[in-house]
Amino acid sequence: MKIILPDKTSRETKAGPVTVEALVRDLGFDPIEVIVARNGTLVTEDAVVENTDEVRIIRIAHGG
Amino acid sequence: MACDDVPVKTPRCDCCSGPAVFHDKKTARHLCREHFIADIEERVAETIRSRHLIVPGDHVVIALSGGKDSTALLMILARLLPSWDSVRLSAVTIDEGIAGYREDTIHSADQLVARYGMDHTSIPFTDLFGGTLDAFLKGREAEACSVCGILRRKALNVAAERAGATKLATGHNLDDEAQSVFMNVLRGDLPRLVRDSGSDSKGRFTPRIKPLMFVSEKEIAVYLMLHGAWADLPECPYAVHALRGEVRSMLATLESKHPGTMLHLMESKTRIEAQCAGRLDEEPVRHCRECGDPCSGETCQLCTLKKTLSQ
Ligand SMILES: [Zn+2]
Ligand SMILES: [Zn+2]
Repeated sequence: MKIILPDKTSRETKAGPVTVEALVRDLGFDPIEVIVARNGTLVTEDAVVENTDEVRIIRIAHGG
Repeated sequence: MACDDVPVKTPRCDCCSGPAVFHDKKTARHLCREHFIADIEERVAETIRSRHLIVPGDHVVIALSGGKDSTALLMILARLLPSWDSVRLSAVTIDEGIAGYREDTIHSADQLVARYGMDHTSIPFTDLFGGTLDAFLKGREAEACSVCGILRRKALNVAAERAGATKLATGHNLDDEAQSVFMNVLRGDLPRLVRDSGSDSKGRFTPRIKPLMFVSEKEIAVYLMLHGAWADLPECPYAVHALRGEVRSMLATLESKHPGTMLHLMESKTRIEAQCAGRLDEEPVRHCRECGDPCSGETCQLCTLKKTLSQ
Protein backbone atom coordinates (compact mmCIF):
# COMPACT_ATOMS: atom_id res chain seq x y z
CA MET A 1 0.00 0.00 0.00
CA LYS A 2 1.34 3.40 -0.94
CA ILE A 3 0.54 6.06 1.62
CA ILE A 4 0.82 9.76 0.78
CA LEU A 5 1.06 11.82 3.94
CA PRO A 6 -0.17 15.41 4.44
CA ASP A 7 3.38 16.73 4.01
CA LYS A 8 3.43 15.08 0.52
CA THR A 9 6.01 12.46 1.50
CA SER A 10 5.03 8.88 0.76
CA ARG A 11 5.75 5.47 2.19
CA GLU A 12 4.98 1.81 1.49
CA THR A 13 3.36 -0.50 4.02
CA LYS A 14 1.89 -4.01 4.04
CA ALA A 15 -0.61 -3.04 6.73
CA GLY A 16 -3.71 -3.96 4.69
CA PRO A 17 -6.43 -4.97 4.66
CA VAL A 18 -7.30 -2.49 7.40
CA THR A 19 -9.98 0.12 8.04
CA VAL A 20 -9.15 3.72 7.17
CA GLU A 21 -9.68 4.65 10.82
CA ALA A 22 -7.19 2.07 12.09
CA LEU A 23 -4.62 3.06 9.48
CA VAL A 24 -4.97 6.75 10.22
CA ARG A 25 -4.66 6.22 13.98
CA ASP A 26 -1.62 4.02 13.40
CA LEU A 27 0.00 6.89 11.55
CA GLY A 28 -0.67 9.13 14.54
CA PHE A 29 -3.65 11.18 13.29
CA ASP A 30 -7.08 11.59 14.80
CA PRO A 31 -9.64 10.71 12.09
CA ILE A 32 -11.47 13.98 12.82
CA GLU A 33 -8.52 16.04 11.56
CA VAL A 34 -7.98 14.30 8.23
CA ILE A 35 -9.84 13.14 5.16
CA VAL A 36 -8.70 10.16 3.17
CA ALA A 37 -8.73 9.38 -0.55
CA ARG A 38 -8.32 5.79 -1.75
CA ASN A 39 -7.08 5.60 -5.34
CA GLY A 40 -8.20 9.20 -5.85
CA THR A 41 -11.70 8.87 -4.34
CA LEU A 42 -12.78 10.04 -0.88
CA VAL A 43 -13.68 7.19 1.44
CA THR A 44 -15.19 6.97 4.93
CA GLU A 45 -13.29 6.01 8.11
CA ASP A 46 -14.96 2.61 8.13
CA ALA A 47 -13.94 1.75 4.56
CA VAL A 48 -11.18 -0.80 4.07
CA VAL A 49 -7.87 -0.19 2.33
CA GLU A 50 -5.77 -2.99 0.89
CA ASN A 51 -2.13 -3.41 -0.01
CA THR A 52 -2.81 -2.71 -3.68
CA ASP A 53 -4.37 0.68 -2.90
CA GLU A 54 -2.88 4.14 -2.98
CA VAL A 55 -4.01 6.05 0.09
CA ARG A 56 -3.74 9.80 0.40
CA ILE A 57 -4.17 11.48 3.78
CA ILE A 58 -5.19 15.12 3.73
CA ARG A 59 -5.04 17.21 6.86
CA ILE A 60 -7.91 19.63 7.42
CA ALA A 61 -5.84 22.61 8.49
CA HIS A 62 -7.60 25.78 9.42
CA GLY A 63 -7.07 28.66 7.04
CA GLY A 64 -9.76 31.09 8.28
CA MET B 1 -27.57 -2.86 9.41
CA ALA B 2 -27.14 -6.26 11.06
CA CYS B 3 -23.66 -6.74 9.58
CA ASP B 4 -22.47 -3.24 10.46
CA ASP B 5 -19.50 -4.60 12.37
CA VAL B 6 -17.99 -6.52 9.47
CA PRO B 7 -15.73 -4.13 7.57
CA VAL B 8 -16.71 -3.74 3.94
CA LYS B 9 -14.37 -2.37 1.33
CA THR B 10 -16.70 0.52 0.52
CA PRO B 11 -19.63 1.36 2.83
CA ARG B 12 -22.80 2.33 0.96
CA CYS B 13 -24.94 5.47 0.98
CA ASP B 14 -28.01 5.19 3.24
CA CYS B 15 -30.11 6.97 0.61
CA CYS B 16 -29.13 5.33 -2.68
CA SER B 17 -26.52 2.63 -1.92
CA GLY B 18 -23.89 4.41 -4.00
CA PRO B 19 -20.32 4.46 -2.61
CA ALA B 20 -20.18 6.50 0.62
CA VAL B 21 -17.79 9.45 0.85
CA PHE B 22 -18.87 10.66 4.29
CA HIS B 23 -19.79 8.96 7.54
CA ASP B 24 -21.52 11.06 10.17
CA LYS B 25 -20.53 9.45 13.45
CA LYS B 26 -23.27 11.15 15.42
CA THR B 27 -26.15 9.93 13.26
CA ALA B 28 -24.27 6.87 11.91
CA ARG B 29 -25.34 7.93 8.42
CA HIS B 30 -23.32 7.14 5.32
CA LEU B 31 -23.73 9.44 2.33
CA CYS B 32 -22.54 9.30 -1.28
CA ARG B 33 -21.19 12.33 -3.12
CA GLU B 34 -24.58 13.56 -4.38
CA HIS B 35 -26.45 12.98 -1.14
CA PHE B 36 -23.67 14.51 0.94
CA ILE B 37 -23.68 17.70 -1.15
CA ALA B 38 -27.49 17.86 -1.09
CA ASP B 39 -27.49 17.33 2.69
CA ILE B 40 -25.00 20.15 3.35
CA GLU B 41 -26.84 22.59 1.09
CA GLU B 42 -30.21 21.68 2.59
CA ARG B 43 -28.88 22.15 6.13
CA VAL B 44 -27.48 25.58 5.28
CA ALA B 45 -30.79 26.52 3.65
CA GLU B 46 -32.60 25.34 6.79
CA THR B 47 -30.29 27.39 9.07
CA ILE B 48 -31.01 30.44 6.91
CA ARG B 49 -34.78 29.80 6.86
CA SER B 50 -35.31 28.96 10.50
CA ARG B 51 -33.19 31.84 11.77
CA HIS B 52 -34.38 34.32 9.12
CA LEU B 53 -30.77 35.06 8.25
CA ILE B 54 -31.64 36.21 4.73
CA VAL B 55 -34.93 37.81 3.71
CA PRO B 56 -36.28 38.98 0.33
CA GLY B 57 -34.56 42.13 -0.90
CA ASP B 58 -31.35 41.50 1.04
CA HIS B 59 -27.96 42.38 -0.36
CA VAL B 60 -25.73 39.75 1.22
CA VAL B 61 -22.04 40.57 1.22
CA ILE B 62 -19.76 37.59 1.81
CA ALA B 63 -16.61 38.20 3.84
CA LEU B 64 -14.38 36.24 1.49
CA SER B 65 -10.91 35.58 2.87
CA GLY B 66 -10.17 33.06 0.13
CA GLY B 67 -9.66 30.36 2.78
CA LYS B 68 -11.68 27.18 2.99
CA ASP B 69 -14.67 28.30 5.01
CA SER B 70 -15.50 31.45 3.09
CA THR B 71 -14.88 29.66 -0.22
CA ALA B 72 -17.41 26.98 0.72
CA LEU B 73 -19.80 29.68 1.97
CA LEU B 74 -19.69 31.49 -1.35
CA MET B 75 -20.21 28.29 -3.34
CA ILE B 76 -23.17 27.21 -1.21
CA LEU B 77 -24.86 30.63 -1.14
CA ALA B 78 -24.42 30.96 -4.90
CA ARG B 79 -26.09 27.54 -5.30
CA LEU B 80 -29.01 28.49 -3.04
CA LEU B 81 -29.45 31.99 -4.47
CA PRO B 82 -31.94 31.15 -7.24
CA SER B 83 -34.42 29.87 -4.65
CA TRP B 84 -34.60 33.24 -2.89
CA ASP B 85 -36.63 36.29 -3.88
CA SER B 86 -34.65 39.29 -5.06
CA VAL B 87 -31.55 38.56 -3.03
CA ARG B 88 -28.22 39.89 -4.25
CA LEU B 89 -24.82 38.39 -3.46
CA SER B 90 -21.42 40.02 -3.61
CA ALA B 91 -18.09 39.62 -1.85
CA VAL B 92 -15.49 41.68 -0.01
CA THR B 93 -11.94 40.73 0.86
CA ILE B 94 -9.87 42.37 3.55
CA ASP B 95 -6.13 42.29 2.89
CA GLU B 96 -4.58 42.42 6.35
CA GLY B 97 -1.07 42.44 4.90
CA ILE B 98 0.37 39.14 6.13
CA ALA B 99 3.41 38.28 4.04
CA GLY B 100 3.74 34.73 2.77
CA TYR B 101 0.13 33.93 3.60
CA ARG B 102 -2.36 36.41 2.21
CA GLU B 103 -0.99 36.53 -1.34
CA ASP B 104 -2.17 32.97 -2.06
CA THR B 105 -5.57 33.25 -0.40
CA ILE B 106 -6.29 36.60 -2.05
CA HIS B 107 -5.39 35.14 -5.42
CA SER B 108 -7.71 32.24 -4.72
CA ALA B 109 -10.51 34.68 -3.73
CA ASP B 110 -10.02 36.62 -6.99
CA GLN B 111 -10.26 33.45 -9.05
CA LEU B 112 -13.39 32.31 -7.24
CA VAL B 113 -15.38 35.53 -7.74
CA ALA B 114 -14.24 35.64 -11.37
CA ARG B 115 -15.62 32.13 -11.90
CA TYR B 116 -18.97 33.15 -10.41
CA GLY B 117 -19.03 36.58 -12.06
CA MET B 118 -19.66 38.15 -8.67
CA ASP B 119 -19.05 41.78 -7.66
CA HIS B 120 -16.00 41.91 -5.44
CA THR B 121 -14.20 44.64 -3.51
CA SER B 122 -10.82 44.36 -1.81
CA ILE B 123 -9.82 46.63 1.05
CA PRO B 124 -6.26 46.60 2.38
CA PHE B 125 -5.45 47.43 6.02
CA THR B 126 -2.99 50.00 4.69
CA ASP B 127 -5.90 52.02 3.22
CA LEU B 128 -7.89 51.98 6.43
CA PHE B 129 -5.27 52.02 9.13
CA GLY B 130 -2.11 53.24 7.42
CA GLY B 131 -0.10 50.03 7.73
CA THR B 132 -0.06 46.25 7.34
CA LEU B 133 -0.83 43.81 10.13
CA ASP B 134 2.76 42.57 9.87
CA ALA B 135 4.02 46.08 10.61
CA PHE B 136 1.61 46.60 13.52
CA LEU B 137 2.57 43.31 15.10
CA LYS B 138 6.32 43.77 15.21
CA GLY B 139 7.33 42.74 18.71
CA ARG B 140 3.80 41.89 19.84
CA GLU B 141 3.13 38.73 17.82
CA ALA B 142 1.50 37.03 20.80
CA GLU B 143 -1.41 39.49 20.54
CA ALA B 144 -1.85 38.83 16.83
CA CYS B 145 -5.36 37.40 16.88
CA SER B 146 -6.88 40.01 19.17
CA VAL B 147 -5.22 42.90 17.31
CA CYS B 148 -6.21 41.44 13.94
CA GLY B 149 -9.73 40.71 15.22
CA ILE B 150 -10.34 44.34 16.24
CA LEU B 151 -8.96 45.72 12.97
CA ARG B 152 -10.79 43.14 10.81
CA ARG B 153 -14.08 43.84 12.56
CA LYS B 154 -13.77 47.51 11.68
CA ALA B 155 -12.56 46.77 8.15
CA LEU B 156 -15.49 44.46 7.48
CA ASN B 157 -17.97 46.99 8.83
CA VAL B 158 -16.54 49.67 6.54
CA ALA B 159 -16.49 47.26 3.60
CA ALA B 160 -20.09 46.18 4.18
CA GLU B 161 -21.24 49.77 4.45
CA ARG B 162 -19.39 50.80 1.28
CA ALA B 163 -20.89 47.86 -0.61
CA GLY B 164 -24.40 48.77 0.57
CA ALA B 165 -24.85 45.42 2.32
CA THR B 166 -27.93 44.59 4.36
CA LYS B 167 -26.23 41.41 5.70
CA LEU B 168 -22.59 40.51 6.14
CA ALA B 169 -22.06 36.73 5.83
CA THR B 170 -19.00 35.14 7.41
CA GLY B 171 -17.69 31.58 7.02
CA HIS B 172 -17.72 30.62 10.73
CA ASN B 173 -18.39 26.91 10.99
CA LEU B 174 -19.61 24.60 13.75
CA ASP B 175 -16.10 24.07 15.10
CA ASP B 176 -15.49 27.84 15.32
CA GLU B 177 -18.82 28.43 17.02
CA ALA B 178 -18.40 25.58 19.49
CA GLN B 179 -14.90 26.89 20.32
CA SER B 180 -16.33 30.35 20.97
CA VAL B 181 -19.03 28.99 23.25
CA PHE B 182 -16.44 26.99 25.15
CA MET B 183 -14.03 29.90 25.43
CA ASN B 184 -16.74 32.24 26.69
CA VAL B 185 -17.77 29.66 29.28
CA LEU B 186 -14.14 29.22 30.37
CA ARG B 187 -13.82 32.97 30.73
CA GLY B 188 -17.07 33.17 32.64
CA ASP B 189 -18.28 35.70 30.12
CA LEU B 190 -22.02 35.13 30.08
CA PRO B 191 -22.96 38.40 28.35
CA ARG B 192 -20.51 37.63 25.55
CA LEU B 193 -21.77 34.07 25.29
CA VAL B 194 -25.29 35.32 24.74
CA ARG B 195 -24.49 38.41 22.72
CA ASP B 196 -22.03 36.73 20.38
CA SER B 197 -24.64 35.62 17.88
CA GLY B 198 -24.32 38.56 15.52
CA SER B 199 -26.50 41.03 17.38
CA ASP B 200 -23.57 43.00 18.76
CA SER B 201 -24.06 45.59 16.08
CA LYS B 202 -26.84 47.36 18.02
CA GLY B 203 -28.38 48.73 14.90
CA ARG B 204 -25.46 50.73 13.67
CA PHE B 205 -23.42 48.13 11.80
CA THR B 206 -24.53 45.73 9.11
CA PRO B 207 -25.93 42.60 10.81
CA ARG B 208 -23.64 39.58 10.57
CA ILE B 209 -24.86 36.14 9.65
CA LYS B 210 -23.12 32.76 9.90
CA PRO B 211 -24.90 30.37 7.53
CA LEU B 212 -22.33 27.58 8.11
CA MET B 213 -22.71 27.59 11.90
CA PHE B 214 -23.98 24.00 11.90
CA VAL B 215 -21.57 22.62 9.31
CA SER B 216 -18.38 21.11 10.71
CA GLU B 217 -14.90 21.92 9.53
CA LYS B 218 -14.54 18.38 8.27
CA GLU B 219 -17.79 18.57 6.28
CA ILE B 220 -16.56 21.79 4.69
CA ALA B 221 -13.30 20.07 3.71
CA VAL B 222 -15.21 17.17 2.16
CA TYR B 223 -17.58 19.53 0.34
CA LEU B 224 -14.66 21.44 -1.20
CA MET B 225 -12.80 18.25 -2.06
CA LEU B 226 -15.86 16.82 -3.83
CA HIS B 227 -16.08 19.99 -5.93
CA GLY B 228 -12.41 19.94 -6.80
CA ALA B 229 -12.19 23.24 -4.94
CA TRP B 230 -9.76 22.04 -2.31
CA ALA B 231 -6.53 23.98 -2.28
CA ASP B 232 -3.60 23.41 0.01
CA LEU B 233 -3.46 26.94 1.32
CA PRO B 234 -0.89 28.02 3.87
CA GLU B 235 -1.82 28.45 7.53
CA CYS B 236 -1.90 31.93 8.98
CA PRO B 237 1.60 32.37 10.45
CA TYR B 238 0.16 33.99 13.57
CA ALA B 239 -2.20 31.11 14.39
CA VAL B 240 0.47 29.39 16.54
CA HIS B 241 0.16 32.16 19.11
CA ALA B 242 -3.57 31.76 19.61
CA LEU B 243 -5.21 30.41 22.75
CA ARG B 244 -8.02 29.28 20.48
CA GLY B 245 -5.63 26.66 19.11
CA GLU B 246 -5.60 24.84 22.45
CA VAL B 247 -9.36 24.93 22.74
CA ARG B 248 -9.59 23.76 19.16
CA SER B 249 -7.52 20.63 19.61
CA MET B 250 -9.17 19.84 22.94
CA LEU B 251 -12.64 20.07 21.39
CA ALA B 252 -11.59 18.06 18.34
CA THR B 253 -10.40 15.26 20.62
CA LEU B 254 -13.67 15.34 22.56
CA GLU B 255 -15.73 15.39 19.36
CA SER B 256 -13.81 12.42 18.05
CA LYS B 257 -14.38 10.39 21.22
CA HIS B 258 -17.91 11.65 21.83
CA PRO B 259 -19.53 12.57 18.51
CA GLY B 260 -22.02 15.40 18.96
CA THR B 261 -20.02 17.31 21.57
CA MET B 262 -19.85 20.45 19.43
CA LEU B 263 -23.56 20.38 18.65
CA HIS B 264 -24.30 19.92 22.33
CA LEU B 265 -22.28 23.03 23.12
CA MET B 266 -24.35 24.94 20.58
CA GLU B 267 -27.54 23.59 22.14
CA SER B 268 -26.38 24.73 25.57
CA LYS B 269 -25.81 28.18 24.19
CA THR B 270 -29.25 28.28 22.56
CA ARG B 271 -30.88 27.26 25.85
CA ILE B 272 -28.96 29.79 27.88
CA GLU B 273 -29.90 32.44 25.32
CA ALA B 274 -33.57 31.54 25.62
CA GLN B 275 -33.39 31.66 29.43
CA CYS B 276 -31.57 34.97 29.40
CA ALA B 277 -33.71 36.73 26.81
CA GLY B 278 -34.40 40.21 28.11
CA ARG B 279 -33.10 39.36 31.59
CA LEU B 280 -29.42 40.15 31.36
CA ASP B 281 -28.52 43.58 32.59
CA GLU B 282 -28.05 45.23 29.24
CA GLU B 283 -25.17 47.60 29.39
CA PRO B 284 -26.34 50.92 27.98
CA VAL B 285 -25.06 51.59 24.48
CA ARG B 286 -22.41 54.22 24.68
CA HIS B 287 -20.48 55.85 21.91
CA CYS B 288 -16.74 56.10 21.57
CA ARG B 289 -15.71 59.65 22.32
CA GLU B 290 -13.09 59.53 19.59
CA CYS B 291 -14.82 57.89 16.63
CA GLY B 292 -18.47 57.68 17.66
CA ASP B 293 -18.77 53.94 17.13
CA PRO B 294 -20.99 52.09 19.62
CA CYS B 295 -18.94 50.59 22.46
CA SER B 296 -19.17 49.63 26.12
CA GLY B 297 -16.56 51.97 27.62
CA GLU B 298 -15.46 55.53 27.00
CA THR B 299 -13.26 54.67 24.06
CA CYS B 300 -13.82 51.79 21.66
CA GLN B 301 -11.37 48.87 21.35
CA LEU B 302 -10.18 50.14 17.99
CA CYS B 303 -9.34 53.65 19.16
CA THR B 304 -7.64 52.21 22.25
CA LEU B 305 -5.63 49.85 20.06
CA LYS B 306 -4.71 52.52 17.52
CA LYS B 307 -2.85 54.50 20.17
CA THR B 308 -0.54 51.54 20.76
CA LEU B 309 0.18 50.68 17.13
CA SER B 310 3.61 51.36 15.78
CA GLN B 311 3.35 52.92 12.37
ZN1 LIG C 1 -26.63 8.47 -2.18
ZN1 LIG D 1 -13.50 54.68 18.66
